[in-house]
Amino acid sequence: MKKIIICFLLLLGITGCGKNQEDTLNVLNWSSYIPDSIIEDFEEETGIIVNYSTYSSNEELLAKISSAKEGTYDLIFPSDYMIELMINRDLLEPLDKSKLVNINNLKKEYLNLDYDKNNTYSLPFLATTTVIAVNRDHIKDNITSYNDLLNPNYKNNIVLLDDQRIVIGMANQALGYSMNTTNDLELKKAEEFLLDLKKNVKAYDSDSPKTLLITNEVDIGVMWNAEAALALRENPNIEIIFPKENGALSIDNYAIVKGAKHKDNAYKFIDYILRPEVMKQIIEEYPYINVNEETEKLLSSEYLANKAANIPDYIINQAEMVQNIGSNIDKYDKLWALIK
Amino acid sequence: MKKRILKNIFIILVYAFLYLPIIILVVFSFNTSKMNITFEGFTLKWYQTLFSNRSLLEAFFNTIIVAVTSTFISTVIGTISAYALNRYNFKGKGFIMKLLYIPIVIPEIVLGISLLSVYTLLKLDLGMMTLILSHIAFSIPFVIISVKTILDDLNPNLYDASKDLGAGGLETFRHIILPSLIPGITSGAMLAFTLSLDDVVISYFTAGPSSNTLPLKIYSMIKTGITPEVNALSTIILVVTFTIILLFTLKQMRSLKKEVVR
Amino acid sequence: MKDKLFKKIITIPVIVYALVLILLPLIYIFILSFLKSDSYGGVINVFNLGNYLKIFDMVYIKVFVQSFLIALVTTLICILIAYPFCLFISQKKKKTQTLLMALVILPFLTNSLIRTYGWIVLLRKEGVINTILLNLNIIDNPLSLMYNNLGIIIGMVYTLLPFMILPLYSSISKIDNRLIEASKDLGAGSMATFFKVIVPSTVTGLFNGSLMVFIPCIGYFFIADLLGGGKLMLLGNLIKNQFLTARNWPFGAAISITLLIITFVLVKLYKKTGGKMDDLGGF
Repeated sequence: MKKIIICFLLLLGITGCGKNQEDTLNVLNWSSYIPDSIIEDFEEETGIIVNYSTYSSNEELLAKISSAKEGTYDLIFPSDYMIELMINRDLLEPLDKSKLVNINNLKKEYLNLDYDKNNTYSLPFLATTTVIAVNRDHIKDNITSYNDLLNPNYKNNIVLLDDQRIVIGMANQALGYSMNTTNDLELKKAEEFLLDLKKNVKAYDSDSPKTLLITNEVDIGVMWNAEAALALRENPNIEIIFPKENGALSIDNYAIVKGAKHKDNAYKFIDYILRPEVMKQIIEEYPYINVNEETEKLLSSEYLANKAANIPDYIINQAEMVQNIGSNIDKYDKLWALIK
Repeated sequence: MKKRILKNIFIILVYAFLYLPIIILVVFSFNTSKMNITFEGFTLKWYQTLFSNRSLLEAFFNTIIVAVTSTFISTVIGTISAYALNRYNFKGKGFIMKLLYIPIVIPEIVLGISLLSVYTLLKLDLGMMTLILSHIAFSIPFVIISVKTILDDLNPNLYDASKDLGAGGLETFRHIILPSLIPGITSGAMLAFTLSLDDVVISYFTAGPSSNTLPLKIYSMIKTGITPEVNALSTIILVVTFTIILLFTLKQMRSLKKEVVR
Repeated sequence: MKDKLFKKIITIPVIVYALVLILLPLIYIFILSFLKSDSYGGVINVFNLGNYLKIFDMVYIKVFVQSFLIALVTTLICILIAYPFCLFISQKKKKTQTLLMALVILPFLTNSLIRTYGWIVLLRKEGVINTILLNLNIIDNPLSLMYNNLGIIIGMVYTLLPFMILPLYSSISKIDNRLIEASKDLGAGSMATFFKVIVPSTVTGLFNGSLMVFIPCIGYFFIADLLGGGKLMLLGNLIKNQFLTARNWPFGAAISITLLIITFVLVKLYKKTGGKMDDLGGF
């Protein structure tokens, strides 16, 4: 009996030690965004222990931040419209840019954007745009628009993102409306479009739509460019199509949560990733759109040749961004529950 | 005769259904192909990558810590409580007994979100502590019931006899009752331990940033793509569990034999 | 005197536990279910019935119906597999029976997610089952075994089957063999014996198993997520979404309370058929 108690106390001790580590950093990031090796390198260099957890949508991130006790998370990676919303709700800490030596590496065109003028609260991490990926081994039709996905021949053959703003936005765009419409009539039309499209949808998956494409589970997917680029790496017969409706552009940002306990460590982590060679590693493992000027010079020919990775500027410029629509979000919530 | 063969075929089919996914995981953990589609060749590569995956190993240790701690605490509390409920009457006992069945019958998700809501209300840090607390919350009733079944079968005269001999409540419990409860306590503890290892739903809601457990880690790994390391990890877990159970059964069989010999 | 102190000390843990970790959380979500959420995640302290009325919106009624249908089909399939299985096993020698039942439980001592992952490998379009069937020329085109309701049901049946087998086996093995023989002696055919003797004496076991399959089935969001392709929303997914993405805790709480009431009604019915609470939960 004594032995058991001693063992037990030891165990409690271990748990206690884990908690009291001052030199930690609690990162909450999108799944498949930063390779484990980068985090391990950072830990080795700085001695900081990174607790890394993931989310799969901006809405999930917001729910996690607003329900967790202040100080639970330090560093997060919200997208553009979510930054605006979090600033309005006073969830973010203003950034002290003097702590970021490598800040000048960032491309100017991704700074001072509408959602956070002067970048008081956020700095861009990377950008991404939606593309259509088609497996040319099986699908020969000409596809140029989201409307082409309604083709009854594609029954159960499409994967879409499991993200309400992006998927409903896609329907809006296909119908010629703004991605962010809150007009009831237009949303009703979008609902019909999505119910029609649902017959062709095999799965909604934000975490890894590429898997379904690679394993031939589906032949068509609307997904973030990096997912498509990774699918292309596995199967060169996948064609990347930029929809003529101008897809969605999303810029993900570093932001520090209000009341964060490890701010200095968060700055160290941001500054580490802002290093050109570190960003190069990240962007080559998960080929999103690079926002680092210095990294641009280092990128491999493989990345540059991958059509889904190296997105042309004109595509990025004409893509539409998700806007914060306030309480109209209820309409999107309900529509989403209906089509799922 | 024909009937018996048909019956046996049915039984075999059910076992095939039960064991198929497990066998597949073990076989594919040695597969050179990353895609899990066809078996291409033998490799131990995935076991190597598994052991260099720090966050996965960390999740594994967290799981063990949570399971051991919550099992220990819920076994102690469960045993004491079962005895208290069996031996004493107190105000509101019937109500308390009713409450104890709630974690057993309600959907796990309801328990998960209600615990999460309370932790948020009390401004507790989500982490190992809340995780352990939640696991204790759903394990205790199982321990109580498994101890209680044995207590119910005990001869009530034992208490009086012990009292007549001048033993107080504590002595009676320690020397007379506790020894005979060992089988109930063991099976309650085993149950609590497996429930804790297996839990996905409640951990999903009550874990914090520094307390990733294995089921949560595996969940996110499965969601983010094809990961042969999951096959390797599953195989290791399977081998470990099966070995423990085998040893346990062998030991029991041996002690049974000894008794028979005596 | 010392005895009284001892009594106090050992009764306190269970009272504290039951009140703090069971009653308090439930009362709190009960209160939460009558509050209002602001559009971005906060909770406003205004009493209203809006969350319960919202459940009657067609969108959410659909989710309830879908979940109950999936749970019902899962329960029925579990009965169809478990009943004959337990019956056949109970005809074996006692020693074999113990061994066979241990073999039923064994796979379930590993994590349910791991086993679900095994099913993904099996059921995929280019997974093991389709590959084998295609190579044997039994089918020409791969079957859609997952990313649909079939996948969800296979996953649910697999995960919950032992919860049907265990109570059924214990009630079937308790049937007195003499009863069956008596029935046969009286000239009843095996069908009549089955329906007039065996089935009635296993009603409680059957109800127990059904309860332990039906209720968890409603809440296992991860099986619907992994094997259903995120296309079918079950109550578990809906509750999870309200708490973790849609940020509407009061509505999530209202759905949970509704689910709780349904559970209590089912348990009441179970007790009416003579079921004991202690037998629930795989004992």
